[in-house]
Amino acid sequence: MTTAINVLQALLLILGAPLVTGIVGKIKAAIQRRQGASIWRPYAEIAKLFRKEDLVPPSASWVFRFAPKVLFATAVCAVAFVPVLQPSALLGSRGDFFFLVYLLALGRFFLSLGALDGGSAFGGMGASRDALISTLAEAPFLLGLVAVSIMSAHADIPGIVMWTLQRNVFDISAVHILAFTSLAMVVLAETGRMPVDNPTTHLELTMIHEGMVLEYSGPSLALVEWASAIKLHAMLALLISLFGPWGMASTVSVWGIAAALLLYLAKLTALMILLALVESVVAKLRMYLVPDFLGVASAVSALAVIFTTLVKR
Amino acid sequence: MQVVSIQVAFGFLLASLGLLAPLVLIASRTKRVRAFAIALIVGSNVVGCFVAGLCFWGESKLALSFSRFTPFPFALALDKLSAFFLLLICAVTVPVALFAAAYFDRHYDGQRCKWAWAFSSLFLLSMIVVVTASTGFAFLVGWELMTLVSAGLILMEGDSSERRHNVFVYLLMMHAGAAAVVASFFLFLPYSHSLDFAGIRAAGAVVPAGTRVVIFLLAFVGFGTKAGIIPLHLWLPRAHPIAPSPVSALMSGVMLKTAVYGFVRFAFDFLAGGPSWFGYVVLVAGAVSGLLGVLYAIAEHDLKRLLAYHSVENIGIIYLGLGTSLVFLANHAPVLAALALIAALLHTFNHALFKSLLFLGAGAISNATHTVDLEELGGLQRRMPVTGTAFLIGCCSIVGLPLFNGFISEWLTFRSFLAGSVLMSTKAQIVLPLMVGVLALIGGLAAACFVKVFGVAFLGRPRSREAENAVEAPRLMRGGMTMLAAACLLIGILPGILLRPLASLTQVLIPGAGVPDEIVSIARIIPWIAAIILGVTALTALFRRVQRMAPTWGCGLSQLTSRMQYTSTAFSKPIRFVFSSVYKPDRTLDKLPADDPYFPVSISYRSVRTTSYEKALYRPFVDRILSLAHQLRRLQTGNIQVYLLYIFLTLVALLAFLRFQR
Repeated sequence: MTTAINVLQALLLILGAPLVTGIVGKIKAAIQRRQGASIWRPYAEIAKLFRKEDLVPPSASWVFRFAPKVLFATAVCAVAFVPVLQPSALLGSRGDFFFLVYLLALGRFFLSLGALDGGSAFGGMGASRDALISTLAEAPFLLGLVAVSIMSAHADIPGIVMWTLQRNVFDISAVHILAFTSLAMVVLAETGRMPVDNPTTHLELTMIHEGMVLEYSGPSLALVEWASAIKLHAMLALLISLFGPWGMASTVSVWGIAAALLLYLAKLTALMILLALVESVVAKLRMYLVPDFLGVASAVSALAVIFTTLVKR
Repeated sequence: MQVVSIQVAFGFLLASLGLLAPLVLIASRTKRVRAFAIALIVGSNVVGCFVAGLCFWGESKLALSFSRFTPFPFALALDKLSAFFLLLICAVTVPVALFAAAYFDRHYDGQRCKWAWAFSSLFLLSMIVVVTASTGFAFLVGWELMTLVSAGLILMEGDSSERRHNVFVYLLMMHAGAAAVVASFFLFLPYSHSLDFAGIRAAGAVVPAGTRVVIFLLAFVGFGTKAGIIPLHLWLPRAHPIAPSPVSALMSGVMLKTAVYGFVRFAFDFLAGGPSWFGYVVLVAGAVSGLLGVLYAIAEHDLKRLLAYHSVENIGIIYLGLGTSLVFLANHAPVLAALALIAALLHTFNHALFKSLLFLGAGAISNATHTVDLEELGGLQRRMPVTGTAFLIGCCSIVGLPLFNGFISEWLTFRSFLAGSVLMSTKAQIVLPLMVGVLALIGGLAAACFVKVFGVAFLGRPRSREAENAVEAPRLMRGGMTMLAAACLLIGILPGILLRPLASLTQVLIPGAGVPDEIVSIARIIPWIAAIILGVTALTALFRRVQRMAPTWGCGLSQLTSRMQYTSTAFSKPIRFVFSSVYKPDRTLDKLPADDPYFPVSISYRSVRTTSYEKALYRPFVDRILSLAHQLRRLQTGNIQVYLLYIFLTLVALLAFLRFQR
């Protein structure tokens, strides 16, 4: 039964991912007083792309065609570490958060290679900028997770979630606030959102993620888009489960799971509104201000780790 | 019976590398005789793998003594630690030798070829002696031979004055390091009365604390020089890139590991840990080497020098593990100390595999294009598919991505950092978890660097005519690289094969260490992850898709040229900009004519990274020595009467010394 729910929540993360991007887009449109596209548009787009032919540059090797598949596969695999409805996940109890971070790194590594394989300037531009951002985002990402892991004395994500569930909401310490701040900043950088990267831009001077995937088309592009959506959804779910898991079903029952699902959707919506607000209010940072942004995230996460020694565990 | 056959096999390994193969090679006149000698080298290393495997996975032990034939005690022995390093040497040598069999033939004439092989054979012997020595003298003989023979191998490709200068720096630093190693051995003498390892080990417990500190620091500096930790790394980026590629593979992949062996032998076996600041010293050295090594690497576009700097980085990661282990030992946490030591030793093995793979890849590239300058390469993946794929596996491994071997050891290192939070000391609780961030930054920079290396060299469009006309490497070269790549994948997916014997190895070195849980858990989860990733990738391949060639979008230009691609320098620019305080580049901009800067005829721009170590650290030291030598020169008048006076004065001084000593 637990396994069935684990599979269910993994499918929820994977299949619901395009909806998350759709809803974020809709909220942004509402904030900007536009009507906006339908929230189901990302599904239609992915379906359309899957039906199209795949264009491959003449200079490209197998790496170009292989990269989107690896990116998608690693995103799917990373999902298996994130608890959503109950404090457990498919691979959660066997592995820790390092796997999650490094699986995402594996996908990004191949996507950058695919970008360079196209042989255009934009691919290199995107890959080079992405290399800088992901390099600097890795340390705060891991340190933020390390801080909460030290607090709970668990390295596996379900273990951390379980520990947090047993606390009171008002018991959360400074460590959690600092770790949440740094991880939230990292999520913006990792998923290519404002103010680090603009997911809707197609202007050469500003694009990072879009520059990398410029040469992809058809099913390859569909996999890339879907994988980024999964990444966004999984990161938001990770934030929810680490810092606000209350309401998860700690025992398996139909009502418990249904309640957990509803609560999860409510928390997710709150986060999506927050994300849309940030994206509408904040201007995109100049390229070389991004290191400062991530430097702040690193400093905050380092503080979180240092504070774990002061806080009563 | 088994003991005897192992001894015979080990004796065969020594004899064939030390005597048989070099003699046959030097005497050889035909290619066929040479091929026989090469087969002998490869064969004896395969035998060496079996011997080492029996002692590493099994419980066999082995001891050979030559003391009857030598003026000083000279004995070799294989315990688990030695067997592990012997396995490392022999396992890496077999593919490298196969590669070299094709490489040397294509690059050297018969005469030079046979000397290269004879030296390589002795080089291997010296490394085997170092890791299996069971007396101080045997160790030092092997250590010195290793330095000298490798210097000879570096000079194989010519002896221009620049090359000689680099070899001079190499020899100088190696001997400074060797002096420290010798001193650290001799400091044991008053307490052990002999230099055989059993005696030293017994003496380790009775050496007074002050001497322990001196021994530890000397060993740290001595072996650190060989390992190339910053700031003692100066020789490494000079010596490694100029050696022939297979030799670079051996030097970077294997020779550096003998230093790790020596340090582990001293710190863990002889001294059995020490105060916790030992650990912090090693930890800081590792962090600095790791970070600066990768930052220097990313600024390079000479592939071999880039790889050499990555050796500095990886030695840094190994030292991070060793330092953590020492901290745990000092805090009485043997199981966690074992975890960190296993991480360091596994990373040592992994680095040997992927670094030699990458250096062989560089050799295959230079064989095909006659350059290792990244800016001249590009598009090699389509022209050299096997080399490219093997190189990609090497890149993924060195970056530490899951499913490849580098990830396993880095993950274990991460987990040992994380475990620092359970210690009682607040310093460890803060420092060790923060090291997660350092290692993550190192890993991120390494990923950026290898995206650059593989992307610029193997993907996209060729940037020169040579790269455009490149052809795949010959069969033996491909075979060597494929073997190493397969080993990287094997350890990456089934790490248990090495982790379990490593756990029993650490139980010998660290009393009271059980098997850490992490070892079991990683061996269990990785196959799952591999299954999911392969499964999903296969699923996505199921979509029937129409593929069509279409030119890369060129912004409306009719055709893109290879010059429009991102270069290696351009790719690393953002990172170099952000970390510019590390590089301190020396930029010169010359515009001609000088009096009319707004309408220049020619502009030349040069940006050289200043090696701040040379300026700030080595230069004053060298200047001091030189000025001292100048002072001493006054003693050398060239007048025979003065020299006779010196002799007389010395005699008087000695007599007086003897008189007053009583």
